[in-house]
Order: sequence, then structure tokens, then C-alpha cells
Amino acid sequence: MVYMRTSAKLGVGIGLRAPHVAEVQTTRPAIGWLEVHAENYMGEGAPLAALERLRANYPLSVHGVGLSLGSAEALDNRHLSRLQRLITRLEPVLVSEHLSWSIAGSIYLNHLLPLPYTEETLVVVAQHVMYTQEVLQCRLLIENPSSYLRFTHSAIPEPEFLGELVQRTGCGLLCDVNNIYVSCYNLGGDPVAYLDALPARAVGEIHLAGHAVNDADGQAILIDDHGAPVSDAVWALYDHALARFGPVSTLIEWDTNIPALPVLCAEAHTAERFMQRTEEAGYAGVA
Amino acid sequence: MPALRELQSAFLRAMFGPDEPELLTAIAGDGLLPEARLQIYRHHVMTSLTDALQATFPVVCRLVDERFFRYAADAYIRHYPPAAPCLFEYGAHFPAFLAAFPPCRHLEYLTDVARLEWAMNTAWHAEVCAPLDPAELGSLAPHDVAQLTFQFDPSVTLLDSPWPIDQIWRVHQSAEEVYDPVDLNAGGVSLEIRRWEDDIGFRRLAPAIYAFRTTLATGHPLAMAAEAALAVSQEFDCVAALHELLTDGVVIGFTL
Repeated sequence: MVYMRTSAKLGVGIGLRAPHVAEVQTTRPAIGWLEVHAENYMGEGAPLAALERLRANYPLSVHGVGLSLGSAEALDNRHLSRLQRLITRLEPVLVSEHLSWSIAGSIYLNHLLPLPYTEETLVVVAQHVMYTQEVLQCRLLIENPSSYLRFTHSAIPEPEFLGELVQRTGCGLLCDVNNIYVSCYNLGGDPVAYLDALPARAVGEIHLAGHAVNDADGQAILIDDHGAPVSDAVWALYDHALARFGPVSTLIEWDTNIPALPVLCAEAHTAERFMQRTEEAGYAGVA
Repeated sequence: MPALRELQSAFLRAMFGPDEPELLTAIAGDGLLPEARLQIYRHHVMTSLTDALQATFPVVCRLVDERFFRYAADAYIRHYPPAAPCLFEYGAHFPAFLAAFPPCRHLEYLTDVARLEWAMNTAWHAEVCAPLDPAELGSLAPHDVAQLTFQFDPSVTLLDSPWPIDQIWRVHQSAEEVYDPVDLNAGGVSLEIRRWEDDIGFRRLAPAIYAFRTTLATGHPLAMAAEAALAVSQEFDCVAALHELLTDGVVIGFTL
């Protein structure tokens, strides 16, 4: 298997969303890299053409949201081959997907739905990750989801489940720090202990985003809406992640209430300062 | 404990239907009712799919107002949930669904405005192709010309309507109140929707030109297209129509 480099230090990038494409092209903001959702660029028209122009100026990461690696049924081969074509065309430096499912009975639910963490699920996800890596000829980074429920028969803690997936498939991890915070808040858990339980050497990318605080039956619940600045608690957790994983390529995501591009870039520059501090503190790096 | 496949089938049913006791017992409450936790996912699934339809059909949404749009979208999503993850391809049946949806069936122009928006969405995501170089036709013998068929650019849709849907579309480009309402009795239109350089646009075609291009676009030879156009108007100028067809970038290839 030909593995792409996933250890490159890209610095801090932004998730590129449609309202910002033209402005990024004309103003070329000083950011390390761009990440796009694969499914938005699987047509052959204007969006893909614009992205191909941007490729000359920024390293690109392709982040899939629709593969449904956790589905009990077989992967959608038509979708996988479209992803393969996109990757061949864009030659991204990173390729990632999620530890979740969104397809059942060939119906696509457009949400990263929760999995029970059992041996059965581990076998299913590992098979799908290995198959995908073989088709795409690259190493996948798998992202931890944000969760609002857990199943009573979930026997394996999520970070251990991810660690076992890395062992079985050779995949890397995309550590979404905001998702860890949101899930631990919603389901009860210690986000620092979660970070400490992840296999540090497998982490090839970090995601940061804002969340909302909603009310569910009189109890606060955090919603991972990517619609606000990164919260102070998540910045603190990011600091801990950097100390543990090193200056891993980091991405700011903002998907609802999308701000002006300079606001998004300022958030990326904040992350850069955290990253510089870690490097100045003499982080030795994971060999 | 349910097997993964059964659990996901039950979860899928719960997204579009009522809570099922077996699924609820598989969900840990952790201080909340399992129903409340499931509802968060149900809400997000329906909202995000509705948002996807709204992004593809913004003018339809303004015409019926957002609350009604979300109500119609909810019914549509339950009838036609997406079969694939690329949501820019979701909504192909929405125009026909609106035509048959009892609460808005009386808004006869609505479905044609939806077809116009779907055509624009299709054009936006269609493959970028180089137009046919007319010089390639230079070596054809004159008697072959009648049998020519053309391959149209994949961004092209030809669409006619008994309503002035192009005007309706234009005056509803923003959410602001419309002070210059469209005269619905102004007559129908025949439109060509396609990519124009880096943008998507549409224009009105004269009825004979529309007949000419529609016949060609459905794979029929030039002679038949000319007949169809002449049946619409005796004034139809086949040489001029062919010249325009070959120079405005709408065809990308030909077969003999």
C-alpha cells in the first residue's frame, strides 16, 4: 500500500466553505492549508474548477462526511469511486473520514450517527477502513465524532476503540478536540483523560470548532454546530493536546453562522500562537 | 443487545417515525430521557436535509415563505430520503412533488420555478466541456448535413413554461418585499439554462429556436429539428439558427 505523508507539519488551516472560495482566491490569506468536504466537490463543474486553482497556492486536505464507515451494510462503491477520482485529481496531503455511520438500507441520513462500541462494530469499521485505504491507496485519518447519546451495550471506551482501530488497520487519527469536549460534557467523561488515552503517534490532524449550548428538558446539552468561536475550555484542551501530540496540523472549522473570512483567519492565528508556544516550550516530538 | 444492522435499521426508522421501545432501551439516559437524546439526532437529520433543499431551491422558498417551505420539505424528505451522500444532487423529484402536494397545488407556477432552480443547480455542477470548433464541420459534404446530430454541453437544460418563470425568479433574488409584482398573465417562456463562462444563466429562446434546439438536444438529426422549427414558425431561418448553434458554445460534439 502506498501511504501518503501524514506527518507533514502544515501549521494551522481553515475549513474552506463556499462563501469564502472567491475571497481566498483573490486575497490569498496567510493560512497554512485548506480542508474541504469531499461531497461538495464530487460534481465536475465550477466548485471543482475553483478548487483546482486554489491547489496551486495551498496544501489541500479532503475530509469525507458521507462514506459511512460504520454502516453494517457494505460501503457504497459508487461513492467510494467518486472519492477516489477526487483524490486522484486533487492529490491532497491529508484524507480523513469519521467514526460514525449515516447510511442504512441505502438511505443517507446526512448526519454522523453514533455507533455502539463493541467487538462487532470494531470488525465492521476495521474492514471498511482497510477496504477504503486499499481503494484510495492512502492512509485514512479517522475522526472521533461528537455524541449526544451512547448505547447501553457499548463496552469499549471511545479512545480505546480508536486505538484498536489504528492497530488493526494502520489508519491514523483526526483528533477533534471540540468533539471530545462536547461528547464528554454530554455523556459524562473527562476530556483530558480521553486525550491521554489516544495513541499519540497516530494523531495526524486536529480539528477545532465552536459549539452551542442548548437546553434539553432543563439540562444543558452541547451541540457541535461549528457556529461560534472556539470556546475557552476547548482552547485549554487544545493546549493539552499539543503538549501530548506535538504541533500536529490543525484546522479551524466554521459551518453555521459563517463569519467574514478575516474572523476565521484570526481564529487560525490564535491556534498558531498556541502551537508556537508548544514548540518554544521544547516539545520533543513523537518519533 | 441488538446486532449492528438491526440497531441501524431501527435508528433509521426512528429518524422518520416514532420512537420504538427496543431502540430506546438500547440508549443510555445519562441524566436525560433516551427519547430526548434520540430527538437531537432526529432534529438534526431533518433540519440539515431541509437546509440542503433550501440551498438548491431558494426562490421557491421565498415564494411560499420559509415556514411553508420547511413543512413541504419535511413531507418530501419522508417520501424521498436521499439515496446518496452528495446533497447537491438531492431534490431531483422536488418540482414534481410540489406539483402534487395538495397545500400548494394551486400555485401552478411553483413547480416550473422549481424546475428552473433544479436546472441551474445541474448546470453549476455539470462537467466543464470544450465547445465544438465549427471548423470541424468544414469538410462535410452538403448532403450529409441533414443527418447531423449534435451533443449538447452537459450544463444545458431547455425548459418551457406557461408562466413567466424567468421574471418570477429575477424579482425574488432577495428576501426583501417585492414591490414590482410579476404579471402572471404575461405569457409563457421557453428558456435555455446553461453555464456561461464561470457563471450560470438562462435566456429566453424564440419558440421556433426552442423547438429546433429541443429536437436536437434529444438526439434527433438536423433535418428533423428544422422541420420542427418550421412547424412552429414559417419565418424560421435554418442557416442562421445553425450558425448560432455552432458559435454560442452550446454544442460540444457531432455525429454523422
